[in-house]
Amino acid sequence: MTDLRPKLAGIAALISAAVLIAAPHVIGEGTLRYVVEIFCVFAFAQSWNFLAGYVGLMSFGQQLFIGLGSYFVFMLSNKLGLNPFWMVPLAFVFSGAFAAIISPLVFRLRDAYFAISIWVIAEIVRLFIAQRDFFGSVSGLPLIATRGMDRGTVSMWTFYCAAIFAFLAVFGLYYLARSRFGLALAAVRDNERTAASIGINVWWTRFAGFVIGCGFTGAAGAVYYMSVFQVQPGGAFDPNWMVIMLFIVIIGGVGTVEGPIIGTAIYFLLRAFFSGTGNLYLLLLGAAAIAVMMVSSKGIWGVLRDRTGIDLFGARRTSGLDTQKKG
Amino acid sequence: MIWVETVVNGMLLGGLYALVGLGLGYAFGIMKIVNVAQGDFIVAAAFLGVFLVPWTPVHPLLVVVPVAIISFIFGILLQRLMINRVLGQDQIPQILLTFGMAIVLRNGMVELYGANSQSINVGDLRFMGFDFLGLRLGVLPVVILGIAVALFAGLHLWMRHSRMGRIIRATADDYQVVQLSGVDYRRVYGIAMGIAMALSAVAGVLLAMRGSFTPYSGADRLLIAFEVVVIGGLGSFWGMFAGGMILGVTQLVALKLDPSSGLMWGHLMFLLILFLSPNGIAGLVRR
Repeated sequence: MTDLRPKLAGIAALISAAVLIAAPHVIGEGTLRYVVEIFCVFAFAQSWNFLAGYVGLMSFGQQLFIGLGSYFVFMLSNKLGLNPFWMVPLAFVFSGAFAAIISPLVFRLRDAYFAISIWVIAEIVRLFIAQRDFFGSVSGLPLIATRGMDRGTVSMWTFYCAAIFAFLAVFGLYYLARSRFGLALAAVRDNERTAASIGINVWWTRFAGFVIGCGFTGAAGAVYYMSVFQVQPGGAFDPNWMVIMLFIVIIGGVGTVEGPIIGTAIYFLLRAFFSGTGNLYLLLLGAAAIAVMMVSSKGIWGVLRDRTGIDLFGARRTSGLDTQKKG
Repeated sequence: MIWVETVVNGMLLGGLYALVGLGLGYAFGIMKIVNVAQGDFIVAAAFLGVFLVPWTPVHPLLVVVPVAIISFIFGILLQRLMINRVLGQDQIPQILLTFGMAIVLRNGMVELYGANSQSINVGDLRFMGFDFLGLRLGVLPVVILGIAVALFAGLHLWMRHSRMGRIIRATADDYQVVQLSGVDYRRVYGIAMGIAMALSAVAGVLLAMRGSFTPYSGADRLLIAFEVVVIGGLGSFWGMFAGGMILGVTQLVALKLDPSSGLMWGHLMFLLILFLSPNGIAGLVRR
């Protein structure tokens, strides 16, 4: 018996793609906007999960890339009058390039020091933007280009952009993790020396993972702020983005594709349930994260997977022999 | 002359920054634990200071003593009840655990006290000044620098010469081997975290006396602490002290030149030093 999961994942990808393409024609505009937010937050969380769980780089400054991506699109679109939707892939390139430039510096640090050094850079960029009128200073920038467009079209294309990122965050991550590159990343994450001894270039593998993860965050950040038509330094570079990403990934289970899906669902449910209580829901997010860490650092999906043996999007390959023995 | 005064004031501020970093650096040096909640604990200590000042006899400055004692006990409990349980090869659980604590603390303080700016009232001391070699200096900043130097020196000597200091250093070197000599490393870790917390608490109270704080100040405090530790070169006492000085002077000089972005230049200085010497100042000296 061969492993059926890749084929099942392929079928699931086709069905999801069909549903996502049909969605804006069926769902109302208000709901659509809510779904866009969910998809973007999910994409942020998944990109952090990719960095922490697959590349082995924990960053506390991913709000840097959310801000960079959104400011890049807003600036370019406003100054040159370009359609912002075509700028989204460029936001990926721009954020990725920024990550590439800072990596020689931040890769010198390890663990928490690496994590916080990116936060420091995020603060520098935030303070820089907030003081320059060219970037709209503290009050930020509106998105001008979409004003002249048809509202329905704008919301549909925003949805499609967000949907592409949510789709990639599930199936793209799955295929990436199973690819040659994904296996190299896992080897570097688990043991640098062993990885180097089997001919993997540790620095470049980690570098490539970092650039891809940060570029993804940036492009998804651009879509998020395009959906609200306004970007401010205090919001786009807000460390609370980091709190949300961390919460979703920790609760769900770091290093799995499914975990952040569960985490995102829990996050939005909690937020809806405790809306209007101000900081109480943030407090609960923190408490829940502590509780999960104390019980099991694998998160909800990690525990479920170990208990039930269900592994929908695992990168682990089962050999034919294994399956036969169990069956 | 105004520049000399700015640099001297920067050094006075820098001593306090060094103290902010000391707690973080101490915990890292011994347990290899990075307590991401340190910044928010510093703010919590400041709130505790505000609460205790009315009951403090003799002088409000003495409030640092009860706050430090309470934080010491809290640090021991924190380490023994929570952090010791997630210790292991992997650093991620510890960091994420303390990150969760930071979120809980910050938002808990917002719930309790609101987001308004506060400070600890030390009476006339805050406005007193004196002339020294033609420079006009504040009494409070000088006293604070004195406390910082005393704590650095005291900790250094205690770690070097006391029995407990030796045990802590041995545990830091190899927590598995010390168990052969009958040391319970979990207990030692508890005491070390207690000391780290007490040091941070003193820094928090002093910062709240010099300036103001809100429940959201934790992030800035953590960044300062972290920059001090990295500039100093992870784990070196005197490196950290120099790191604090560099940050303090950079911030105040930059504030004079560019009144809107003193903080940003402090961060940039950190990146510059990281670029020039990845192991910080201690790394430069050792080489």
